[in-house]
Amino acid sequence: MDDEAFWSSDPNVLRDSEWDKISSEFTTVGYREGITAGKEGALQEGFDDGFARVGAPIGRELGILRGLSSALLAFLSRPASTPSPATSSSSQLSNSPALVNEVRDIAAALANVRFSDIAPPDLEAIAHAREHLETSNAMDKDEDAADLTDPAKLNEEIKDKRDMESLEDLMAQMGAPGTTSTGAAPAQTRPTANDVTQMKQRLMGIAQGLGLALQWS
Amino acid sequence: MDFDLEDLVNVEQTFYEDGYKDGYAHGRIHGLIEGRALGREKGFEMWEELGFYEGFALMWKAILDAQGAHDERTQNHIRHLLDLIAQFPRVNPSAAATASEAATAEPELDIPRLFRQIRSRYKLLCATLGVRPTLRAADGSSPSPDRPPSDDLADTEMENTPPTGTTRAKSERKKVWTVHDPRTDKPLGGTELSF
Repeated sequence: MDDEAFWSSDPNVLRDSEWDKISSEFTTVGYREGITAGKEGALQEGFDDGFARVGAPIGRELGILRGLSSALLAFLSRPASTPSPATSSSSQLSNSPALVNEVRDIAAALANVRFSDIAPPDLEAIAHAREHLETSNAMDKDEDAADLTDPAKLNEEIKDKRDMESLEDLMAQMGAPGTTSTGAAPAQTRPTANDVTQMKQRLMGIAQGLGLALQWS
Repeated sequence: MDFDLEDLVNVEQTFYEDGYKDGYAHGRIHGLIEGRALGREKGFEMWEELGFYEGFALMWKAILDAQGAHDERTQNHIRHLLDLIAQFPRVNPSAAATASEAATAEPELDIPRLFRQIRSRYKLLCATLGVRPTLRAADGSSPSPDRPPSDDLADTEMENTPPTGTTRAKSERKKVWTVHDPRTDKPLGGTELSF
């Protein structure tokens, strides 16, 4: 802005174009500082929301399934002669090699699942990214809209984790060109939330067949 | 357009405030999105591990029940483990703490300690079952700062484990998850949880 003009005692100098220029400059400065403050003020709230509504429940569900399959596998594959707290091995919990293999398959498939495979999209982030693309406001030009929908671009720590997962994929592809015997999905096709649901059903079916009562809230 | 000199002096402030208000609303959206991404990740990480112990205990409980086995020690471990996990918050305590500032009525929740107790109880259960514990309960298996080095057993009846790393864990953690990290120079780019 032209300081001469701004501090002139004659207000008329500020009219029209000068006026617009000044208004937009102060507004822009305010806007930028407002963005920073608004962002910082909302981070914790967003964190708590993501933790309680998405991360914790999904993590717990997958964790429980992994724990169940891990325990069942340990129980089924323990040598019959091993002295255990439950020495009265009743016949109803008899184990067949096929059953052991099935449980092992389920456990391996569950182990292969990552949060990024089953995390629901952040709809608000997607909606806001779309707004950015549509308005392409000059004030927002330093905000890359595409980054909003990719957690790895929002946070360094998440990025590091994703990078590590990519590396794992790469090594899995190099190490096992053929089919893997673990029953886990090949690295090219990631499991989905649907797959997890199916695994849960299989596992519950097996438990039921063994007469095991499982329930959790 | 007519205005006196007073208006002219204030005009920059008015423009600034208008811009600030709009910017704040926009920044809030971004803060929520960023915070949410991190909160999802952390919530998953913690509860996946806790869920594992929970599922593990539930399955063994079901097996022992089906067998009609009444081993007191094992049942006791299972009961304690499930009880400890039930105490673990599924909501970040910071939300509750700010909502009702008079949180002093409740005993303070020591998250890291609870986590250690859960891990060691799980390992005790594994020992009585003769099952090898999962590696995640071991030390340093996690890339994340929320999993401390080996002080898992420091709070339990087992005394044969050296409580290494206790000081680090204590100094670095607080009772709630907070997003703000004073270490980062960048105001927003490098936010990280600190416990």
